[in-house]
Amino acid sequence: MAGPTKEKGPKNEFLYFAFRNWKLRLGLFVTVSFLVVALVGPFITKFDPWGYVGRPAEPPSATHWFGTTFFGQDVFSQFVHGLGPLFLVGALGGALATLIGTAIGFTAGYRGGAVDEVLNMLTNVVLVIPTLALLLLIAAYLKVRSFLMEAVFIGCTAWPWTARAVRAQTLSLRTREFVDLARISGMKPGKIVVTEIAPNMLSYLVMVFILQFGGAILNAATLDFIGLGPTTGISLGLMMNYAVMWGALPLKIWWWFIPPGLAIALIVGALYITNVGLDEVFNPKLREK
Amino acid sequence: MKRYLGRKLAIYALTFFLAVTIDWMIPRFMPGNPVQTMLSRVSLRAEAVDALRGYYTRAFGLDVPVWQQYLNFWRAVFQGDLGVSIYLFPKRVSSILMEAVPYSIALLLPAILLSWLAGNKFGAFAARRKWLDNTLLPVGYLLTATPYMWLGVLLAWAFGIVLDVFPIAGAYSFQMSPHLSWAFIKDLLWHWFLPFASLFLVMFGGWAIGMRNMIIYELEADYSKYLESLGAPARLIRKYAFRNAMLPQITGLALQLGVIAVGAIVTEIVFSYPGIGHLLMQAIQNQDYFLIQGCFLFIIMGVLLANFAVDILYIIVDPRTRRGMVGES
Amino acid sequence: MRKWLVVALTVGLAGLLALGQVYPRNETLYVSGAAWGPPTDWNPFITWSKANTSGTVGLIYETLYFYDPINDELIPWLAESGEWRTDTVFVVKLRDGLTWQDGKPLTAEDVVFTFELGREYAEIWFSPRWDYLESVTAVDPLTVEFSFKGTVLYQEFQSDLYNVAIVPEHIWAGRSREDITSGANGQPVGSGAYRYLTHAQDRNVYVRNEDWWGTKLLGLKPAPKYIVEILFSSNNVALGSLLKGELDLSNNFLPGIGSLTALGYVKTYLPQPPYMLSANTAVLFLNTTKKPLDDPAFRKALAHAINVDDIINYAFAGLVQRADPTGLLPTMSKYVDQNVVARLGFAYNPTQARQLLAAAGYKDVDGDGFVEAPDGSKIALEVTCPFGWTDWMEAIRVIAASARAAGINIQDRTPDYGVWNTALVTGTFDMTLNNWASLSNTPWTLYNLLFNHPIRETMGSGNFGRYDNPQLFALVDQLAGTPPWDEAGMKAICSQIQEIMLNELPMIPLWYNGLWAQYREDVWQNFPGATEGRPHWLPSTWAGYWQMGGLHMLCELKPVP
Repeated sequence: MAGPTKEKGPKNEFLYFAFRNWKLRLGLFVTVSFLVVALVGPFITKFDPWGYVGRPAEPPSATHWFGTTFFGQDVFSQFVHGLGPLFLVGALGGALATLIGTAIGFTAGYRGGAVDEVLNMLTNVVLVIPTLALLLLIAAYLKVRSFLMEAVFIGCTAWPWTARAVRAQTLSLRTREFVDLARISGMKPGKIVVTEIAPNMLSYLVMVFILQFGGAILNAATLDFIGLGPTTGISLGLMMNYAVMWGALPLKIWWWFIPPGLAIALIVGALYITNVGLDEVFNPKLREK
Repeated sequence: MKRYLGRKLAIYALTFFLAVTIDWMIPRFMPGNPVQTMLSRVSLRAEAVDALRGYYTRAFGLDVPVWQQYLNFWRAVFQGDLGVSIYLFPKRVSSILMEAVPYSIALLLPAILLSWLAGNKFGAFAARRKWLDNTLLPVGYLLTATPYMWLGVLLAWAFGIVLDVFPIAGAYSFQMSPHLSWAFIKDLLWHWFLPFASLFLVMFGGWAIGMRNMIIYELEADYSKYLESLGAPARLIRKYAFRNAMLPQITGLALQLGVIAVGAIVTEIVFSYPGIGHLLMQAIQNQDYFLIQGCFLFIIMGVLLANFAVDILYIIVDPRTRRGMVGES
Repeated sequence: MRKWLVVALTVGLAGLLALGQVYPRNETLYVSGAAWGPPTDWNPFITWSKANTSGTVGLIYETLYFYDPINDELIPWLAESGEWRTDTVFVVKLRDGLTWQDGKPLTAEDVVFTFELGREYAEIWFSPRWDYLESVTAVDPLTVEFSFKGTVLYQEFQSDLYNVAIVPEHIWAGRSREDITSGANGQPVGSGAYRYLTHAQDRNVYVRNEDWWGTKLLGLKPAPKYIVEILFSSNNVALGSLLKGELDLSNNFLPGIGSLTALGYVKTYLPQPPYMLSANTAVLFLNTTKKPLDDPAFRKALAHAINVDDIINYAFAGLVQRADPTGLLPTMSKYVDQNVVARLGFAYNPTQARQLLAAAGYKDVDGDGFVEAPDGSKIALEVTCPFGWTDWMEAIRVIAASARAAGINIQDRTPDYGVWNTALVTGTFDMTLNNWASLSNTPWTLYNLLFNHPIRETMGSGNFGRYDNPQLFALVDQLAGTPPWDEAGMKAICSQIQEIMLNELPMIPLWYNGLWAQYREDVWQNFPGATEGRPHWLPSTWAGYWQMGGLHMLCELKPVP
């Protein structure tokens, strides 16, 4: 994804542009709506997600909003129960990847020299190894897999592009005048990082996190779909897996596999659009004319 | 340029070394024992079991010390000998892979190249054209945010079931055995289209968005403003912007290769397309360590080679690397 | 150099062109559901991969007898007749005029050679028969005499008659041990109605043997010229293919067949639920070496806590039926002692399950809704099946949920097949589903799975829960050694086995898995069915079923005009 550049500006100006930016509004609206459904949904559905509560393969109706599965389970109930883990894995995995990527990229960029060489090498190696193939293997080791573990897997493998981007960002910041000024005035390196560089990178990191968030959701859905996701609980990827395994395609039970995939696409898409919106807010040059 | 390439090659060599080592560890550190798996398939008396155990241990090369197994593995990798499959015993892993590789390449290569080219062209065209931009942006983001398997399922459902115009599984129909005729080639293409299309569309969205964003950056860059103030025609400015935007897109291609490989794996699974991904899935489900090992090695080599190709492309496109002005990507 | 390349390419292309083939739809039968993986060998002595090339035995190679489970009857096949002259001498008369697919005659020497392979190579599955086989001799070109010694396992030998595939001595005699016991046998030459034509990762193709002896001697001729046996990577694809009419016969488990049959999209053997014949019993094996599963009272309570009706109605959508508490298939019902079942049988009854638990000292002490063991320790069990076995995955979910509702804390888990299999044979699982005793001519087949003995480190072929009961094992051995003509003796022993089994419940028989078969009659008609006017054969292409009705089905098919 594109790396933004950073301009300093007063807070109220930021908010003003933030509210005026339709991309940001749309993205946030969609994401927050799904988040609300994920939070309150489990309390408003009266059905057990695995219970046989209706006739098999019922199309959507007033009682079963998203219809029922091949077994007569309520699709809506499964859907809202699956949204929670989606946000959980996305947020945790995304945060972890951002954290690792930032730490490595920042250290490499700021310290330079041999440290940079080694970290850069590491980044490149992890980048090239097809991480999901590796995930498949690790996943196969464990007898019981949880959502938390899934998030950790994803976080530990998705960081390389972030490390690269942060490193480049740090390199450019390091040579800016205000950092030089601080250095000349005898500030300690640690303090320079905290007071001068970090605030300047914060907006950038927010956007990196959003991208990682979306990426983690997609990775988790892929793992769940091929049956290497968590062994307990329900997720949207698992719903798609079940739908396909149980012949939802030839039996034309479209209401079983459309909602989970569409929700993932909408949430991740909304996150990406939020990101563009933020980019425009932080970087006035990019705003529409 | 020499320095740049040398550094790249060192990284590849290191990656390859690490990857092969991890790959070697797979059958040795995964739960379960391949020899035991073979033996549990037959119900035999004790003496027969012992005879067979010896036979399988030798067949899988597990009868020598671990360090020697490791060295043997390296030798085998360079000789293209990846051992014997468990699930498809007594077939050689290398010959199984060879049957699958053409399908994966036929799917991936056109999908990557065409989506990259088309996505870049379209993204550049749409940037700063308000109406087009406002439609492209959401659609593009939605496409790139779509899980590969879901788009595959959706296409299979729409075109394979509802409209019933494309087959939804396999590489060619069961009425034929492979041979050279128009009917067969048509059949192959017919089966190839949907998995190709689902890979293409997801990637297309990503490249188009990426290019659109890059162009906007470039158009706002100082040199564009300068050209504009000199009264240069908009077409010329866009041309420069496009050129400069290509570089990050090439880097992006390298960054995305791993993700694309995974996308291809799940797409092959959805369409039962007999490539490496489909094979890997079956190998995992059947705990065929040696086949998993082989598939993994192939994927690594594929990604490495593709990365290398992207590097070469980068050198050709970016004059600075040729003059040794930048040490790294 | 370039010239050579051109020549090589031309030859290669010409070769491809010549090899290629399109199978005419109206001459080809498309079937699926037998194969688990891509074809790897056509060696009739490698049993574990036979599902993937199920036609190897039955279509290409043949057995002395065929067996018809519907009428519980052995059908002489390569044999014209067989007779037990004494308790230890069995004489087989071969048909006159049998030929191999290469034109050479099939004689008693080939039968002797085949059985002798088992004596020579311990790796061959029927090698243990030589514990009680003394000799197999060719009296004359058409007569084979089997002499026995010691404890003869009649029941076992009886099923060998339709499972040991006879191979041609003139082709196999020169082969090495490795070739015979684990070679691929890529160009099989058998005696059967079909020849191997070609294969790919996802298919086997057979072509009719126009010189088959059966046409001359039995007046049988299978209708399809080609059989394309397809490996679908998922049932979902098989279902789609069947509904499109690209597939004639599917032996996959397909969800939703009940409603599709009702709507007339597909045909099944029975026109009403459960639609399918029963093929094997799904048994919940309990690990009797683990607490609290070592307690018969607990096992009994568990059996009453499992809601089999939900499994049948939801997980299988009505495609299966409840198993008899003894686990014996309907074709073996004459060996069920109804008295024992009436006294000791079990059925889903959560109230009774709770009572049984309470009576045995299992009480919910800490108030978490689940019972604790009498010594106060917590109970947390897992029920497993391999990932991807969709119907079973749903079934174990029901097992776990209904057990939890009755106060027994059970979670369902679906490990990958290899992990599951290792846990199964090494006995590290808690409880798991298994159905490895297929339809056969003797109740001993099931008991050999349930009470396989002695208990060893790895239990590869049964008694996975390691239930140890010498008295029961002695009875199973006694049954194995009972001559097939002594039906009363067999029944008496079965009754004793059932008494112990239902008292102890070391495993719980739950339902009969169906002999999945659904057909479209767009191209071929007259598939088997229970109704009047349809042929009564097992409609299956699974490994081992070609000689249990599959081939007869092919002979009864008629092209749709």
